[in-house]
Amino acid sequence: MHRNKQLIIKFLTPALIMFVLVFIYPLLRTLVMSFFQVENITSSAGTWHFTGIENYRRLLSTKLFHSALINLFKIWFFGGVVVMTLALLFAVILNSGIKGKNFYRNMIYMPYTISAVAMASMWLQYVYNTKYGLLTTMFSKLGMEKLAAIAWTDPTHKFWAMFIAYCFGMVGYHMVIFSSGIEKIPSEYYDASLIDGCGAIKKFCHITWPLLRGVLKTNLTMWSITSVGFFVWAQMFTSELAETSTITPVVYLYIQIFGAANAVTDRNAGLGAAIGVVTGVLVILTFLLINAAVKDDDFEL
Amino acid sequence: MKTRTLALILALTLVLSLSLAGCGDSAPASQPAVAPADSGAEAAVAAASGASLVYWSMWEATEPQGVVLQEAINAFTAETGIPVDVQFKGRQGIRQGLQAALDAGTVIDIFDEGVDRVNMNWGSYLLDLEAYVKDSGYEATAIAPFMDACREAGGGTLKSIPYQGSIFAWFYNPDIFEKAGIAAVPTTWDEFLDCCAKIKAAGYIPITSDDAYFLSNFGYHVARYGGQEAVLDAVENGNWDTEPVRKAVEDFYELGKNGYFSPNLTSNVWPNGQNVEFALGDVAMYLNGSWLPNEIRGLAGDDYVWGCFSYPTVPGGVDDTSYANTSFQVFAINKSSQYPDEAFKLIEWLTKGEWDLKLSQGSLGVPADTTNTEWPAQMANVKPVLEGTANRYIWAAGAENNADITPVLLENVLNICSNKITPDEFISNMLAASK
Repeated sequence: MHRNKQLIIKFLTPALIMFVLVFIYPLLRTLVMSFFQVENITSSAGTWHFTGIENYRRLLSTKLFHSALINLFKIWFFGGVVVMTLALLFAVILNSGIKGKNFYRNMIYMPYTISAVAMASMWLQYVYNTKYGLLTTMFSKLGMEKLAAIAWTDPTHKFWAMFIAYCFGMVGYHMVIFSSGIEKIPSEYYDASLIDGCGAIKKFCHITWPLLRGVLKTNLTMWSITSVGFFVWAQMFTSELAETSTITPVVYLYIQIFGAANAVTDRNAGLGAAIGVVTGVLVILTFLLINAAVKDDDFEL
Repeated sequence: MKTRTLALILALTLVLSLSLAGCGDSAPASQPAVAPADSGAEAAVAAASGASLVYWSMWEATEPQGVVLQEAINAFTAETGIPVDVQFKGRQGIRQGLQAALDAGTVIDIFDEGVDRVNMNWGSYLLDLEAYVKDSGYEATAIAPFMDACREAGGGTLKSIPYQGSIFAWFYNPDIFEKAGIAAVPTTWDEFLDCCAKIKAAGYIPITSDDAYFLSNFGYHVARYGGQEAVLDAVENGNWDTEPVRKAVEDFYELGKNGYFSPNLTSNVWPNGQNVEFALGDVAMYLNGSWLPNEIRGLAGDDYVWGCFSYPTVPGGVDDTSYANTSFQVFAINKSSQYPDEAFKLIEWLTKGEWDLKLSQGSLGVPADTTNTEWPAQMANVKPVLEGTANRYIWAAGAENNADITPVLLENVLNICSNKITPDEFISNMLAASK
C-alpha cells in the first residue's frame, strides 16, 4: 500500500506541477493583477501600482464595457437559441435515415472547419457588400429594392450581420455533437415506438429529446465558453477600430492590454485582468445556470 | 458535488487562460538566420568576430517594404559578413509580442514601428542614438522635421531613426477632377464644397472613406476650427459642446445632406472604400495616408498618379494647411543589444543611399535620405503637400486618443454623415458617453 502511494505520487507530481504552472499560476496572477495598474502584461510585479478595486469600479462605470457585455449576452442568448435549434434540427433530420447523410453532414460541418478570418472576409466581401454582394444582387433581382438597399455593415445592422455570419459557422460543430448523441440512442427505442404508432414528433419529444439532455448540456457549456471568447469575428467586422455594435469583453480586454490600433492609447493590463476575472465569473454563473436548468440525471442510456 | 466543484474550477481556469491567451505572441518562432550571399574575406572577418543581429520587423515578408528590406539585408550581410535574422512579425505581431519578448530577454537588436508607439510604449527599452548620429554625420542627409519629431517623441533625445515618412491628406482622382471641370485643388472649405458640387454634377460621388480611417476626417475638421487641443479637449475631457466641435458636426451634417458622401460610407469596412470605390474610380476623394497609392496600385494601375492636397482651412479656423498628421516608421535599437554599432550600421544601410531609394521606389514611399531627391513618379503630387507641412498633428488630430470613446464617436460621426442624427443629438450623445 505504502509503495502504491509512492508510485501514485511519482506519477501525479509532474502533472500536478504542470497544472499549477499552466492553470493555477496564471489564474492567481490574473486575479492579483486585477487590483493593480499594470502598464504591460509582462511588466515585473515591482512596477505594479496597487489601486484596490479601481479597475472593477472603472469597468462598472464604462459605458463601452456595458455595450460589450450586452453584445456578449445577445451573442450567447440569441445565438444559443438559433444555433442549438438549427443544430438539433439538422442532427435529427440527418439521423432520420435520409439518403446522402454523410454528404449533408459534411456540408453543414464544413463552414466550421474554415478559418474565421476567411469566413468573415467571405461574408463581408461576397454576401454583405452593398455593390455586388449576394444579398444586394438577390434582392435587386427579386425587385425588393428596400431590402436590396440595406447597408448590412452600417452601425445599425452590423451586429446582426456579424451574428448571422457567426451562427452560420457554428451550427455544424454543435450539430455533430448532437448527432453523436442521437447515434448513441439504441434503435430499439425507435423500433418500439414505431410499433406503438408514434410519429416523428412524438418520437422526438419522448425519446430523442429526453435522452439528449446530457449532450445539450455539453453543447450549451461549449457554446458559452466560445461565446465568452468572442474576438476574431468582432475584429474582422470592424477592421482597425472597435465599434459599439460589435465590441465584446475580449475585444475590450485586447484594447486595454495592447492599446488601440491606430492611435497610441493608454494601456492597463490590470484592467484587462479585471475583465478576465469578470468574464470568468460570468462563465461560472452560466455553468451553474445550465446545471440548474438542464437536468440529465433522470434518464440513463 | 466534488465533480461539479472540480468542473467549476476547470471552467474558470479555462476561461481565464483563454482570456489571456490572446496576450501571448502568436508570431512564428525565430526564422533561420540569413546566410551571407557572398563569402568574401571581409565577410569572413566579420563573421569571425561573432557579431550577428536580430531584427523584428513590423512588415509582412510579402508586402513591398518587406521584400525590399529582405533584399537590402541580404546585401548588407554579403557586404559586411554580419548575419541578420529578420523576423517579419507584421503590425499585430509587433504590437502584441515585442514588449513581452523584450521583458523575457529575447535577443532582439533592432525593431521598428510607428514613431509614437516606439517612443511612448517602448521608450524604456531604447538605446540613445545621439552619439551615433553625431559621430556618423547621419543627420546631414536626414529629413530635419522627422528627426525633430523623433527627438520630441523620445523626450528630448534621439532614440529612433525615421524612415517611410507619410502624410495624411486628401487624395483625389485627377480624371474625375478634370471631367468635373475643377482646375485647382481646394484650399478653403468653400472651395472644397464647390469641388464636391461639381463632382456630384459630373455624375461621381465626391467623398468616401473606411471605418479604419474616417475619424481622421472628423479630427482634422475640428482641429481646423479649434486646433488639435479642441479635439483632445473633447475626446479626453468630454467637452463636446464647444464651438469647434459643433461647427465641424454641422459641416459634416451638411455634406451628408447634400449627398456628398458615398452611400456606402457607413457600411464600408476597410478596405472596401479605398479598393472598391476609390481605386476603381467611382469616388473622387479619400482622406488617407500617403501609403494609399502603394496599397491600391494593383487595382488602379502601377503608374497611376493620384492627386493630393492638404485638408482645407475652415472659416474662422485657427489652423491652416500647414498642419497635418505626418508620421513615419522608425528603427530603434534595443539598449540591451550586444552589437549596437553593427545595429546602427544596418540602420544606416537601410535608410541611406541605394537601399533607401529602392525602398522608396518599391513601396511608393518618401525617401529618408535627402540626397535621394527623386521620389517615385506616383508620389509627385504628395511631395509639395509634405513640403508645405510645417506643423504636426498626432494621428487623427487626437480623435482616437481615448479608446473608451473612439467606438461611440465613430458611430455618431457616421450617423451625422448619413443624417440619422442631428448635430444637437450628436453633442448630447457624446456628452452622455463621456460621463
